[in-house]
Amino acid sequence: MADTDSFVHLARPLGPVAVGSAPTTAPVNVVIQPQALFSVLDHSLRRNADQERVIGTLLGTRSDDGTEVEIRSTFAVGHTETTDQVEVDMEYQKQMLALHLKANPKEILVGWYATSSELNTFSALIQNFYSGQGDGTWPHPAVHLTVSTEAGKDIETRAYISAPVGVTAERAADSAAFIPVPYEIRYGEPEKSGLEAISAARDAEERSVNLFTDIEALERAIEEVLGMIDRVSRYVESVIDEEAPASTALGQYLLNTLALAPKVEPADIERDFNNHIQDVLVVSYLANTIRTQMELSNRLATAQLTLGGESGSTETGNQRGGQRGGKGGRGGQQRNQERSGEETRA
Amino acid sequence: MAEKETPLTAVKVEALVVMKIIKHCSQTFPTTATGSIVGMDVNGVLEITNTFPFPVVEMPAESHFDNTAPNPAAAAPRAKSNAAYQAEMIRMLREVNVDAHNVGWYTSANMGNFVNMNVIENQFFYQKEMNERTVALVHDVSRSAQGSLSLRAFRLSPKFMTAFKENKFTSEELQKSNLRYQDIFVELPVEIHNSHLITSFLHQLQTPSQSASTDLPPSLAALESGPFVKDTVLAPNFDNLTLSIDPFLEKNCDLLLDSIEAHNTETNNFQYYQRSLTREQTKINQWQAKRKAENASRAALKQPALPEDEWQRLFKLPQEPSRLESMLNSRQVDQYARQVDSFVSATTGKMFAVKGNLLPGEIAK
Repeated sequence: MADTDSFVHLARPLGPVAVGSAPTTAPVNVVIQPQALFSVLDHSLRRNADQERVIGTLLGTRSDDGTEVEIRSTFAVGHTETTDQVEVDMEYQKQMLALHLKANPKEILVGWYATSSELNTFSALIQNFYSGQGDGTWPHPAVHLTVSTEAGKDIETRAYISAPVGVTAERAADSAAFIPVPYEIRYGEPEKSGLEAISAARDAEERSVNLFTDIEALERAIEEVLGMIDRVSRYVESVIDEEAPASTALGQYLLNTLALAPKVEPADIERDFNNHIQDVLVVSYLANTIRTQMELSNRLATAQLTLGGESGSTETGNQRGGQRGGKGGRGGQQRNQERSGEETRA
Repeated sequence: MAEKETPLTAVKVEALVVMKIIKHCSQTFPTTATGSIVGMDVNGVLEITNTFPFPVVEMPAESHFDNTAPNPAAAAPRAKSNAAYQAEMIRMLREVNVDAHNVGWYTSANMGNFVNMNVIENQFFYQKEMNERTVALVHDVSRSAQGSLSLRAFRLSPKFMTAFKENKFTSEELQKSNLRYQDIFVELPVEIHNSHLITSFLHQLQTPSQSASTDLPPSLAALESGPFVKDTVLAPNFDNLTLSIDPFLEKNCDLLLDSIEAHNTETNNFQYYQRSLTREQTKINQWQAKRKAENASRAALKQPALPEDEWQRLFKLPQEPSRLESMLNSRQVDQYARQVDSFVSATTGKMFAVKGNLLPGEIAK
């Protein structure tokens, strides 16, 4: 990820296609979701001490025309590698895939990953297995993702697809031309809050962080915005002082941003503000009233039988208490209904 | 095991687990998603290092019950087929050096509405059947959408466990054990932990935008389509600055209304029970008085007295309804109220800020 090299990517290589079917040459774009990358990194941490790299299966979705592959999750597959042979636990891979499909029927096999940037004969062998017919991704190309996790160096992610090379069938089995494809890391709205919490731990010494409460998160966001405003105003000031080069584009952009500030009548603001703040406070007040009422009613209900059982008077007293609690609750409910009605109108 | 003695004090969640849970929960939102978590217990701190989702099983609907779980996923953690799935998955994970130790399960929630029988039964199942030291992680999808991640860890308190095991939820028993709704769950603090590799990865994600920030964009279009606008990886999250408060309050009001209704049903049930209890009691008293009178007359006639405790066979006192539901309900309302409170505290601040911004001078007065 440290340097996303730019490379020409005009047409994707043809996969091992059967004669007759028209192959597409549309480029492939790979989208990686962060949790997939995280689990690759986690797997890399859990490798056996003598292992150079570990491999695993990539799962995700492929767009209908096959031009975009989204990697959603991964699982590790055990393998052993010696200087002259490689052994991948295929049985394991099959079982795990079946287990995974049970829970996530929508995610299909899209390729595999390895935790070193090196591409060698073994990579080609495994790649040919994953892109093969039957259990592989055929007729779509298998995506190969390499994430280098060497200590002391940058983590480098690369995505490849492959084309068959080799003159004879034996040679073709253990060789493949890996073609780099562009990739991007993309995440959805829901993951944003999670990533934020995770990245908050980034600079901490012990690499861990507690979760924020709402108000703390608000404070952080405001501080961040203030920081950005400061940066922009420093830049603008230095341009005015002719210390930094001016840019019309930036100026225009800033103007556009400033124009976003709404122009409203003070009276309107005052009214809307008062309405809203009242709504908010009333809901809060009611919620707490309801809570108290319910607790009271439950307390009265459980308190009764210790005193009760001996005379009818305590029982009726408690019944009344229960009813009162109920009535209070109902009163709150009515008021609340009015209130939420008002909100829907607002 | 020596570590058995130290109680669980905190939960440490790996970044990977956080992301996986978020992904699974938001994918299936608004239906409940559940899954299993694995990890290790290190001196009272439960380290959660990996997770996998449970498949949704179509459970045979118990047709004669109206209140069957509408969503099979909610009950998934204690379904039999999933126990097998979990065992299998853990066995597979063990082969690739993942901590093969089940430490609980996770579920998704919507606005904190997770206090229900399903969660209780699942967690009870886990704490009883699997391992005492297990937690339930609750990820609140709707609240996380507001800006700050909501991930909480719960356990059932030992007190509640014993009560639930023996199903002691009559008023008398509750009085004796002094169990209150606050005592159902024990919440554990959640900490997010990154591995070294992830830390270094996160740092690298940040670098491209800083190293390339020297050259100025040639035009507005270039700026808007440039790398800084698109480069959203780890861009700061300003969702919690948003001012749309109505949907949140509306939803909360709806949920509160539901709770009030549930509460009313419970109260009515209880009142019904009390009425029938009084009725039976009067009947018994009448019967006893009658028997006494009869005995008195028999004694006058020198006949043997009839037994006076036959009423126990003749009359049956109604069963007291369990107070568990209303307890859970109270806990739920408590949850909502706190949620509203924390929301309101943030919102009022935001609103005053907006007002101060749009009406400068007003605040100064």
